[in-house]
Amino acid sequence: MHDPSVVDLSRLQFALTALYHYLFVPLTLGMSFMLAAMETVYVVTRKSIYKQMAQFWGKLFLINFALGVATGLTMEFEFGTNWSFYSSFVGDIFGAPLAIEGLMAFFLESTMVGLMVFGWHKLKAGQHLAVTYLVALGSNLSALWILVANAFMQDPAGAHFNPATMRMELASLPQLIFNHDAQAKFVHTSIAGYVTAAIFVAGVSAFYLIRHRHTELARRSFRMAALFGVLATAGVITLGDALGFIGAQAQPTKLAAMEGLWKTEKAPMPFNLIAFPSQKDETNHGQIQVPYVLSLLVTHSTDGTVPGVDVLKKNAAARIENGIPAVEALQKLSADPGNSQAMAQFKAHEDDLGYGFLVQRYAPDVSQATPAQIQKAAKDSIPEVAPVFWSFRIMVALGLAMLAFFVMAVIYTMRNNVQHKRWFLKIAVWMIPVPFLANEAGWVVAELGRQPWTVYGMLPTWMSASTHSLGYMIFSIIGFVALYTAFIIVEMYLMVRAIKQGPTPIDSQPTLGGNDNPALAHAEA
Amino acid sequence: MKTFLYFLLFMFLAVIVIAMAVILGDTGAWYFAWLIGTTMIVLIAAAGGMLLDAQDDHAAEEAAEREATAS
Amino acid sequence: MDMYAILQVTWWLLLGVLLIGLATMVGMDMGVGTILRYVGRSDIERRVALNIIGPHWDGNQVWFILGGGAVFAAFPLIYATAFSGFYVVMLLLLWSMIMRPLGFEYRSKIDNPRWRNVWDWALFISGFVPMIVFGAAIGNLFRGVPFQFNWNLTSTYTGSFLGLLNPFAILCGVLSLCLSVYMGSVMLMNRSEGDIHARSRGLARLASLLSIVLFAIGGIWVHAMKGFVRTGGPLAGTAQTPLQQSVQLADGAWLSNFNAHPVLWLVPAIGFAALICGHLAAAGNRSHLAWWLGALSWLGVIGTAGVALFPFLLPSVSHPAQSLTVWNASSSQLTLTWMLGFALVFVPLVVWYTSWAFYVMRGKVSAEHVASDEHAY
Repeated sequence: MHDPSVVDLSRLQFALTALYHYLFVPLTLGMSFMLAAMETVYVVTRKSIYKQMAQFWGKLFLINFALGVATGLTMEFEFGTNWSFYSSFVGDIFGAPLAIEGLMAFFLESTMVGLMVFGWHKLKAGQHLAVTYLVALGSNLSALWILVANAFMQDPAGAHFNPATMRMELASLPQLIFNHDAQAKFVHTSIAGYVTAAIFVAGVSAFYLIRHRHTELARRSFRMAALFGVLATAGVITLGDALGFIGAQAQPTKLAAMEGLWKTEKAPMPFNLIAFPSQKDETNHGQIQVPYVLSLLVTHSTDGTVPGVDVLKKNAAARIENGIPAVEALQKLSADPGNSQAMAQFKAHEDDLGYGFLVQRYAPDVSQATPAQIQKAAKDSIPEVAPVFWSFRIMVALGLAMLAFFVMAVIYTMRNNVQHKRWFLKIAVWMIPVPFLANEAGWVVAELGRQPWTVYGMLPTWMSASTHSLGYMIFSIIGFVALYTAFIIVEMYLMVRAIKQGPTPIDSQPTLGGNDNPALAHAEA
Repeated sequence: MKTFLYFLLFMFLAVIVIAMAVILGDTGAWYFAWLIGTTMIVLIAAAGGMLLDAQDDHAAEEAAEREATAS
Repeated sequence: MDMYAILQVTWWLLLGVLLIGLATMVGMDMGVGTILRYVGRSDIERRVALNIIGPHWDGNQVWFILGGGAVFAAFPLIYATAFSGFYVVMLLLLWSMIMRPLGFEYRSKIDNPRWRNVWDWALFISGFVPMIVFGAAIGNLFRGVPFQFNWNLTSTYTGSFLGLLNPFAILCGVLSLCLSVYMGSVMLMNRSEGDIHARSRGLARLASLLSIVLFAIGGIWVHAMKGFVRTGGPLAGTAQTPLQQSVQLADGAWLSNFNAHPVLWLVPAIGFAALICGHLAAAGNRSHLAWWLGALSWLGVIGTAGVALFPFLLPSVSHPAQSLTVWNASSSQLTLTWMLGFALVFVPLVVWYTSWAFYVMRGKVSAEHVASDEHAY
């Protein structure tokens, strides 16, 4: 059976590789559209400074893009290598968006990125602009399909369990795609990428403005980033709220963890601004509350209420008891698919199959499960509150800080005097790490808050992992850590170096022209 | 001080806009909103860049005029 | 045959198409990585070689990613069982492959011989290792892999890492490496001049010759191998798990499909014919033709393996009855239908814009222009 420490190490490895991958993805999502915006101005006005901007930021984009692609390879295969049972149990549903992502989005993005880099001399200006837009569209469509897949893990819509194949199967692709969680999460994540890129461009531009280098490029970049960023930040906050609202219905345990809500309270519920949750005592040791706000935030009304951990645990225990006969019946069906009595028993209890699996961790023969084991499994159904609670607050606080920053940035840049506000420019440089931190915190809220499930309410994490030996897991984690550490050092070095070097002067660039003459074409690769 | 008041005003406006969007769209057609929103964000950023050029030209003209009247 | 069985076979064929696409396109880039240090003696020569595939490697690599995604979507049990069973090999594959994007993007960013030398070796490893692993994985399918399922289809792999590196698997790995070197060489021939062209031409001739020999040895070897035969279980096109069938091992059973349908002998024949013609085309400097013949060789080689194994996808040597087949490892009818729809729309689209990208970037790449272009790798 599953060794718990192997499951824990598999989780650690997935978290490390996913969080690492997610350092590079948001910048790609946003930067591609910023490049498109800059190049649009170039094509409209034909001012060469905008071409220089598109090429300079494009260079930084590519340094980041390479690591995003490289670490994305790991993600595509890690479900199979380390989450074998998960992959076979939900592959019928989960595999589809991943494959569609490759077909529809990643091919487009990757083919076009080659032309974006090498095509400056070979494509007409309008064609090249179209290529840049396709890169942006492709990378964001990639995010769409990945988040459709992720939303299935959060809220398994459009799927059912098929005892004949012992796995979950697709019931409706449109339901999977138009899952509310998928819709809100895609937009939230995609434009969080826009914010990341805007902060990055604004910060690097501020660095130049402080040093009076490349002022013309930096002023224009800062202006575009400020406008891009202020709109995107407002969008991220709106969608973040929508996501909370949707999640409150689909994943009450995640919401309880995010808000440190141990006891179910009457409406209007107060919001825990700061609290120190204790998983062991199931209470907060010290908290600062704001009245009314939680009801407003999660139910958008003053008389709404959501269940706390106490009620959720009680519900889970009941569902576990109801799920046990489903697991028993399934075991009989596995040996004899034609057993109609077992099928009838399974049908009567199938809604709680996942909860039956939850207790199987402690009682491999579920029919022998004791009340104490059921209580233990019910306690498991609540995610680790403190890290989810704090990550959520960090994400929200950083989001609000970025909104304030961008509002200020817009005021200064629209007055065209940001280049004289050195204190503000310094803040802008220091803002660069902020969106990255917020992105990572967001991942922690979404995925740690989903525990103990890989597919919410259907498949517990403890049985999803591959049955590797401890040695294999230690080997692979050491390998990933060593490789990824080396990569980030190289990437940061090249990024800082490229920023210090700055853009290539305009006059040293070859002229752009639509070159359709094959005799000349070879002259310019 | 004036800048700070502007900042407060715009922050207030931003919060109002976000609150309105929140109330309008609990489970909205977000994919559609993304299409519209992204187009808008890209175009407004592009327009902002062009506006900067216009502002520069305008400032240069004013400077030239001042010089002309001064001489 | 009912609709579900037709869909399963269709997806088996599509998987073949994807593998051929992967081998042709990614294999070509990996071949260039493998031979980079041989065809390029100086830094500028290596840069020319890299810039020939520079605009395309990223798009080509998606064939590899799509291969993973398509196996996941169409045959989830294969994805789950094979990737976790081949754990250490998969890690070596991944770790070598993730060096590749960095090799391309970062190598020429710094003008320092030691820096570039490190990345040249990284590109060599990320060309050489994945192609060996790719071939060896297919080779292992012929021998079967030691794995088993429990009642709820949790798979456990009971073999060792070294068990995957058996002689037949290594033969298949070297064959796949030779084919990739051939493809990389003819691509370089097509877009380079002078010394790089001459060295590539020599390599293309050598690699095609070796491929012919290895393919022939592999064929003879398979005659003497024990193959798997499905002797009972649920019919094709019914929902089933791998716990319900019976399978036996028999000498020479991998040839039973060919013996039952002699027309299938055309598939290996295409492989041999394409390799021989490819060898001649490379010798005659017809690099464009040689490239297409190389793609056809992949079709022959991968097609031969697929036909021999059908309907098996991943035989279990320790529990033959639990072997994975097209019938018991595929996705549901609804998923296969949707995925087929997406494939019918998007695969032609992908082929179209990939061709356009190659058309835009056509022509010879020369040292002067690599040196003068700041966007070059």
